[in-house]
Amino acid sequence: MSNLGVLLRIALTSLFSHKTKSLIVGSIMFFGTLLVVLGTGLLDAVELSMQKSITSSLAGHLQIHSSDAKDDLALFGGMAGPNADIGELDHFDEVKRVVEGVPNVKVAVPMGLGTAVANADSEIEIVLAKLRKAVREGQAEDVGPLKEQVRQILTAYSKELSNKEALVAATAELAEERSILDKATGEPFWADFDAHPVDSLEFLDTKAAPLLGDGRMMYFRFVGTDVPLFARSFDRFKIVRGEMVPAGQRGMLISQRMYDRMVKHPTARQFDEIHEAVTLTGRVIAQDTSLQERIERMSRQYGRILFQLRPDDARKLEAELGAMFPDKKGDLAKLLEAFLKVDDATLASRYRYFYDVMAPMLRLYAVDIGQDLTLRGFTRSGYMKSVNIKIYGTFAFDGLEGSDLAGGMNVVDMLTFRELYGQMTASQRAELKDLSASVARTDVGREEAEDAMFGGDDASEGLVGEMGAGDAGARAVLDKLQSGKLELANGGSSALPFIQEELDHGLALNVAVILDDPDRLDETRAAIVKAGQDAGLTLKVLDWQEASGLVGQFVVVVRLVLWVAILIIFTVALVIINNSMVMATMERTGEIGTMRALGAPRSFVVAMFLIETMVLGLGSGALGALAGAGVLAWLGSVGIPAGNEVVVFLFGGPHLYPAVGLSNMLSAVGIIVSVSLAATAYPSVLASNIQPVEAMRTQ
Amino acid sequence: MGPIVELKGVDKDYPLGKVTVRALRGVDLTIHKGEFTTIAGPSGSGKTTLLNLVGCVDVPTRGTVQVAGQETSKLNDRALTSLRLHHLGFIFQTFNLIGVLDVYQNVEFPLLLKGGMDKAARDRRVREIIEKVQLTEQLRQKPNELSGGQRQRVAIARALVAGPSIVLADEPTANLDSVTGGAIIDLMRDLNEKEHTTFIFSTHDHRVMEHARRRVRLEDGMIVDAGLADATPFPEAPAVEAAEASA
Repeated sequence: MSNLGVLLRIALTSLFSHKTKSLIVGSIMFFGTLLVVLGTGLLDAVELSMQKSITSSLAGHLQIHSSDAKDDLALFGGMAGPNADIGELDHFDEVKRVVEGVPNVKVAVPMGLGTAVANADSEIEIVLAKLRKAVREGQAEDVGPLKEQVRQILTAYSKELSNKEALVAATAELAEERSILDKATGEPFWADFDAHPVDSLEFLDTKAAPLLGDGRMMYFRFVGTDVPLFARSFDRFKIVRGEMVPAGQRGMLISQRMYDRMVKHPTARQFDEIHEAVTLTGRVIAQDTSLQERIERMSRQYGRILFQLRPDDARKLEAELGAMFPDKKGDLAKLLEAFLKVDDATLASRYRYFYDVMAPMLRLYAVDIGQDLTLRGFTRSGYMKSVNIKIYGTFAFDGLEGSDLAGGMNVVDMLTFRELYGQMTASQRAELKDLSASVARTDVGREEAEDAMFGGDDASEGLVGEMGAGDAGARAVLDKLQSGKLELANGGSSALPFIQEELDHGLALNVAVILDDPDRLDETRAAIVKAGQDAGLTLKVLDWQEASGLVGQFVVVVRLVLWVAILIIFTVALVIINNSMVMATMERTGEIGTMRALGAPRSFVVAMFLIETMVLGLGSGALGALAGAGVLAWLGSVGIPAGNEVVVFLFGGPHLYPAVGLSNMLSAVGIIVSVSLAATAYPSVLASNIQPVEAMRTQ
Repeated sequence: MGPIVELKGVDKDYPLGKVTVRALRGVDLTIHKGEFTTIAGPSGSGKTTLLNLVGCVDVPTRGTVQVAGQETSKLNDRALTSLRLHHLGFIFQTFNLIGVLDVYQNVEFPLLLKGGMDKAARDRRVREIIEKVQLTEQLRQKPNELSGGQRQRVAIARALVAGPSIVLADEPTANLDSVTGGAIIDLMRDLNEKEHTTFIFSTHDHRVMEHARRRVRLEDGMIVDAGLADATPFPEAPAVEAAEASA
């Protein structure tokens, strides 16, 4: 042991007497350890936060789906796309009974993912619809202003077209557009309107309105579920606007994020985003060309405001904006364009003005809370299906309000989901049966199908032949089917209440399982698999990370990248340490030879070198680990702001608060010491091969 | 007393580029315990090679070298190291102190390697030998803070501290001024007399040779004078004055 003392002494003195070398190698070790502690600490924090985001927003701790699945379940999007085939669980209540019987399971929530679209009508379509209603109901006092609004929209568009005509070569289409607009904005047409309102409206609907483009298409990802149970089970869930879908009622909750991003008036949304960019992230418009471009784009879309203004609002706004921009007085389009062209000085006041004065004049959201929305989607078997559903409100997950991932999913009741999925209810099956009977449908086996349809020898015997003979009922159904307009239930299905048993005893695609103690996840997972097998159910049980799809793999990927970076740094460190130690060996040949001549065994020389690096590694590593812990602790107290919405999800909120992990520090020091020792192995063997006779040569 | 070093028919060849240098040729030499021997000869005559063989840092090409009763060419590295540690003390021409250790630590070093001594005993021994070489005041100084003579005295203290039976010195006075050199010779002669330590010096310094009881002379790798005829005790006259008179 007295050797260890002298070895340590030699190591320390040697480190101090070769300050530059020690400093360089020590710095590499210091930063290596710092990086490992910081990197692993941050990743652990992200993983923990992401786990919170995923488990508390949609996934739960475990996800169950049928083992008949063809694709992997990917709640937040994956390789198989939104219509991944994850199999079916025919009766949710069977799964629920089995799963909720397993210890540590708090609750099982039924789910089914799907996508649908809904249309937001264009501005002119909305006004025309109102006009048609006013005409039909004979409300003369409404007809006048609405007529004026339609004419105003068309006049504004006519001016835009004039600009276009000046720029592009004349074509037949352009000429036709011009003739339609001239007619629709001309005095004779409007003078004649009251005499022939239906014809006039038809012209406006079919000829004029389409020129202004279609309305917006809104795309909804949704999870069908037991809505009240979902809200109770995911503790971050909160209603933002409107109310909860009542138990036993069909209905939809739109995510507040989607409501603000997709349903909101596009100009308002763009204004929000620009305002956010400046106020939240401190960007300066004057120095930011991408912001300038966005503002330019927004200002060119003044039509989205103009077309929505009622005549009296338009006059009021023209007067107020005219005072703001005297040189553009009289032309509301130009005034709006000028108003929307904000800069750093005017942003705050105009944003306020927009919401205080202009927003109340506009239809700020394409779908209002409490209204019905027509969702259209393709069923699993590929035909088009549409469902009317009441929008009860909007919701968000606490802390994840800013995340598109957490906010990308909307919630509908399970029965509506099943309908959009293409599964029929008992009453729908009955209806279909009646329908089949009324068109004289026959069940035919595959083998006889050809004969049955086209007749055996005699063509007139087959179904097709019969239909050719003419069956008005069948033809009507066929036409409907072909045009995709057949709705097996009536369009107002959202009004139909249902009972809990209907929900529970039916189809679900996947089940979210929430645990009492998340730390016992693996154990509970195994117990559920076993319980499933015992009950004869073929279940696939995934943890939250596997179930979340690509997002869940994010941490794995980043961890991989981090370790590759660490590996590279340590390889560099290894080479540098090795090199400097080889140099040291050569420098110290005489000294080592002397030690050997004095009777120091080879092992002494090897130990001397190893201890020297170990002392340096431990010292620099400990300092690096402490520095890393210090940075983490500081970050943990101030929080790392999430730069964008994806990061909000990863951070589990607007800020990440990392914590210092002792195990991370110890393993970082362990790694650096091991790397240092590995780097010193070769030089130390080289040193131990120095012969004592070297001491005899002149130093 | 019996032989402590015995060389029989020793040849030592070194490859030097394409030629082989025959550093020693047919050397027979027996040195008894307690002898104070100098090995003299012109540069390149094989003095250092002979010391390396006796010092167990090298083995002969042909012939046998026995040190403290063991034949060195039959020993492996570990055994040779142990032999050096337990029987030999080295005083190098260029002192070869360990730069990162201070005077005390340099002297303590062989005792630490040897082990088997408690801290107090070790401390006593180190201080005792340092006192003998009169470096008590420089105890905590690093080699680079010492003069040449002081360094050589540290080297001597280090060579003697573990009580070796043979002390080998390669031109121990070559890098010293005459006064320092003389004092060092006195010190070693004193040790030789009191502790019967065997000293083998390579040197062409007349002052040193004058104090030797036996003067071996090498030329072209061969012993031309085994010095047996001149094996006289130390002259009674004060060594330093005599040396300086002859210089």
